[in-house]
Amino acid sequence: MLRAPHRMMGVKENKRSVKENAQTLRRIWGFLEHQKGRLAVVIVMVMISSGLSLLGPYIVGRAVDTYIIAKRTDGFWMVVVALLLIYLALSLSSFLQSYWMIGIAQKTIYAIRTELFGQFHQLPISFFNQRQSGELMSRLTNDIDNMSQTFNSTVIQVISSTLTLIGAVVVMLLLSPLLTAVTLLIVPIMYGSMKWITNRTQMRFKEQQRNLGELNGFIEEVISGQKVVKLFSQEKKMIAQFLEKSEQLKQSGFWAQTYSGFIPKLMNVLNNMSFALIAGVGGIFAFKGMISIGTIVIFSEYARQFTRPLNDLANQWNTFLSALAGAERVFEIIDQDKEEDDEAETIDLPAVRGNVEFRNVSFSYDQKRKAIQNVNFSVTEGETVALVGPTGVGKTTIIQLLMRFYDPDHGQILIDGIDTRRVKRSSLRSHMAFVLQDPFLFQGTIRENIRYGRLEATDEEVVEAAKWANAHSFITKLPKGYDTVLQPDGSGISQGQKQLLAIARAMIAKPSILVLDEATSNIDTMTELMIQEALERLMEKRTCFVIAHRLNTIQQADRILVLREGTVVEQGTHDSLLKEKGFYSELYYRQFKKDAI
Amino acid sequence: MRYVLSYLKSYRKWMIIAWMLMLIELFVELWHPLLMEKIIDNGVMKNDLHVIWKWGAVMVATSLLAFLSGIANSFVAAYVGQQYGFALRNALFQKVQSFSLFHFSQFPTASLITRMTNDVSQMQNMVFMSLRVMLRAPLLIIFGVVMALFVHVKLALILLIVVPASLAFLLFMMNKAAQFFTKVQHILDRVNSIMGENIAGIRLIKAWGRSLYEKTRFTETNQALMTRTVTVLRLIETITPVLLLVMNMAIVIILLIGRVEIHTGSATAGEVVAVINYTTRMTAALSIFTFVTTAFSRAKASGQRIANILTAPVDMLDKDKRDEQPIEAGSIQFENVSFRYPETDVDVLRDISFSIGAHETVAILGETGSGKSSLLQLIPRLYDAMDGTIKVDGIDIRQIRQERLRTAIGFVPQDILLFSGTIRDNICFGMDNVTEEEMIQAAKNAQIHNTIMSFPEGYDTMVGQKGVTLSGGQKQRISIARALVRHPKILLLDDSTSALDVQTEAQLLQALKSYSCTTLIVTQKISTAMEADTIILLKDGKLLAHGTHEYLLRTNELYSKLVESQLGKKGISDVKSTT
Repeated sequence: MLRAPHRMMGVKENKRSVKENAQTLRRIWGFLEHQKGRLAVVIVMVMISSGLSLLGPYIVGRAVDTYIIAKRTDGFWMVVVALLLIYLALSLSSFLQSYWMIGIAQKTIYAIRTELFGQFHQLPISFFNQRQSGELMSRLTNDIDNMSQTFNSTVIQVISSTLTLIGAVVVMLLLSPLLTAVTLLIVPIMYGSMKWITNRTQMRFKEQQRNLGELNGFIEEVISGQKVVKLFSQEKKMIAQFLEKSEQLKQSGFWAQTYSGFIPKLMNVLNNMSFALIAGVGGIFAFKGMISIGTIVIFSEYARQFTRPLNDLANQWNTFLSALAGAERVFEIIDQDKEEDDEAETIDLPAVRGNVEFRNVSFSYDQKRKAIQNVNFSVTEGETVALVGPTGVGKTTIIQLLMRFYDPDHGQILIDGIDTRRVKRSSLRSHMAFVLQDPFLFQGTIRENIRYGRLEATDEEVVEAAKWANAHSFITKLPKGYDTVLQPDGSGISQGQKQLLAIARAMIAKPSILVLDEATSNIDTMTELMIQEALERLMEKRTCFVIAHRLNTIQQADRILVLREGTVVEQGTHDSLLKEKGFYSELYYRQFKKDAI
Repeated sequence: MRYVLSYLKSYRKWMIIAWMLMLIELFVELWHPLLMEKIIDNGVMKNDLHVIWKWGAVMVATSLLAFLSGIANSFVAAYVGQQYGFALRNALFQKVQSFSLFHFSQFPTASLITRMTNDVSQMQNMVFMSLRVMLRAPLLIIFGVVMALFVHVKLALILLIVVPASLAFLLFMMNKAAQFFTKVQHILDRVNSIMGENIAGIRLIKAWGRSLYEKTRFTETNQALMTRTVTVLRLIETITPVLLLVMNMAIVIILLIGRVEIHTGSATAGEVVAVINYTTRMTAALSIFTFVTTAFSRAKASGQRIANILTAPVDMLDKDKRDEQPIEAGSIQFENVSFRYPETDVDVLRDISFSIGAHETVAILGETGSGKSSLLQLIPRLYDAMDGTIKVDGIDIRQIRQERLRTAIGFVPQDILLFSGTIRDNICFGMDNVTEEEMIQAAKNAQIHNTIMSFPEGYDTMVGQKGVTLSGGQKQRISIARALVRHPKILLLDDSTSALDVQTEAQLLQALKSYSCTTLIVTQKISTAMEADTIILLKDGKLLAHGTHEYLLRTNELYSKLVESQLGKKGISDVKSTT
């Protein structure tokens, strides 16, 4: 009955058009361009090392002819020295090519990561609303890792394999076209049998990936839901379901592994066969004086040198393609439309008094259904405004518009009489502080998390803010106090304590406008009492927007905006609204009457 | 590691077969240079075509034999590897299912998943490889040297220096690289975690305008990652060129000595070729060695992580002496119960005693961190109390089989967990014999039936990633329905109505009265608490008061303050006037 979430990650689709690949390559090139010089050096190194790896066996072969078969002695030491130098240069050039390529590759990966990270901060909120953060995350880390590994080695290997292959064939043709033809006989056999194997492995590997993904999802869900599994005593059933999935994975894994195990064996036997063929046929040719013994030595060595790259190329090409696919997914995110830039003539707001006005504001998230419609209200500095209404009437939308996470479709939002669209987003937000629904805290110490509200705050100010938010007492009870490191999964402190920290973080910011989005709903009443005390101090001379469910909190507001289906239907103080006997009094009495009985 | 490998025992026979097959391959590979020597010395040098054909044919035939045993080895090795992985995976999952919640708090979910998938495949690959190349590479190197010495001592002498030196260099570098890799992995984790945090907390970052701050934080780590990665990769890339250089030099030296020896007639051309052939084969084996050591050290780490889980002691096993009587009434007694979470040193509950009769409804009130949720979790034995006794129907719950205890309890946890699947799957979670009517009744009582029916696919609507997004309140109510459908004797609601509006909550509480079960409700709302028969007030892990609303209002200052804060002074006077 548990179904694993469908994963796109596991199976990599390589069916992408050449045009797309070329486009992605061009993008990657953009990151490489300023390293052009170094890249050229690497390619020269690859050429040198490929050339040298062909030159070595050639000289050995010639030496066999001259010094062993013909038994000459002149210039022997020259050849030895030449050989030693070639081997030295070969090792050096192949080291250098990797050395520099690693530098280039990692710089590129660094640049892509940085750009991607920067992009996150420029994407509009709607991008994140549409996506699961976990999925986004795993996609990015895997894709970038994949790219990093491919850049490090694959690029070099693809180039050097190609060069070696071409070079070996050319030299062999020059030495003896007939023996070359014999040597190349092995190629179609190799191609055919590799194709036979890869056809099978690819299918199995895909199946294995799919099964693995499913198992992964299953484990994830069962473990994160472990409390429920335990409470309902479902351990045995979970194990049974696991065994079934595990068995499937085993089956597909067995065949994938068996078939892929054939490859090295096949390469080995083909190498041996081609060696036997070259030795045999070459021997006959040598017998007839068509070629020298040295040529046979050269051929046998070259044959080994090109069966390997031929095999490598196929593998490398596949990893290369899947890395490209990953790169494309990363670029897809980089290419997403950014949050609209601040309009050309935006200004900084040096100080804000806190007058807020909404003039005929309408907004829709999806162009279909209006989230809020024709909202009008104005708030003078220092006022506390409570937004009230059932879920989904647009309270959060109003706050998000005020913060300019979105811009209204119609109408204007004015702060101190200035249209917010004329103000830089960063400047606008720097005058506000927030306690949002999710008291998101970062991995880091409690001190750092509180200081997040104002980065230049001193340690004393951090403690002061914590005291105001009634967080100080629980913080000092922790073994490491303010230096307690909060874990990314939020373990270690309770939900209520997180809220307190979020409030301390807002307090330290000393904002002109304070936004509390259901901030108090997770805190017990006693603590809430103390918070309200502190908030009252904080709200003094500050404009404050509160979204809260409990009417009691709202009673103390200077003004209440009652929302219904995206519009403000009533506004006023608690008492005046009750007298109106409208929607608010209906809401109020529904709760209060019941509470009182 | 040894513990993890012990799971291989039942495949011993197959492993021996795989090794035998591998030995055939090794034998062929070691024999071939000798055959070449014969072909060159007795055939080519003496112009004897017959000898060439004869030994050539033997070479081809033995290659084919090696190929066939290689293929057979593939099958057997894959079989053993997969069976082994299968066994490990299953053992892990079963072990994990026997874990208590305390264990889960010790192993983060992600790490448990990694252990069951990644680490198991590492072990599996290690086994697969050890049946194929892991032994072959060292054996080839050892026997290669021996055979070369056997062919011609003086020519092969250089190998006695070069091969051990290369091996030592290789192992040293691999060891170094492994250390570096751990550091790189560490920073990579950090980079990924900052990225994850930034995605998850993007709203906050934007609201606070902290992009620059985050970028600086990220850039530092990202830069460190780049430098470290470059260092370790460059280190590894020195290995192959150096090895190749050394082995190539060795070949040149063998050639030089060989030339002298051939001149003096103490060596044949065939012998020189054979020794060189052994050397090149060893070079190939050495490069496999890099690969083998990485796989092995990875597997070692994985094996350790797996063993950690498999050998973790299991607490809360059912005792042998079990009370098998079904739980009938559902009364609950706490007798001097104290509790602290394992490996912490703060008591979250201190000396709690109370008694709840069957079918009573009790609300538990208290501040954040006063121990409400902890108290509730002790009843289904998600944790065991440190001191004191908890009794259900007069029996110590530690004497009751866990499954039976939990079947009698309907628990609605604070953090709502729904599984991906249909709403029906979630409500009927783990019960095979629920009728449609029972399910609908439970949903109706949980005040969620109408909402479910408003979805196009009704009870077959998918929830979770692929399905509809439910609001907090809707999830809470489904989770309540899931508890109700089981007709529990004890119903535990851990602040499970917080997201419901007042009206819905009232209807829900009314509907609960039709169940004959003992109910404990953890709540923040006085209005909810007032519906209960009695109220337990907790503060700092101690039981402050236990009694009816009116009793507490009269006798407890904290309680009346709570009531005042939520209902206002008027609320109290209203209450007083109605009572």
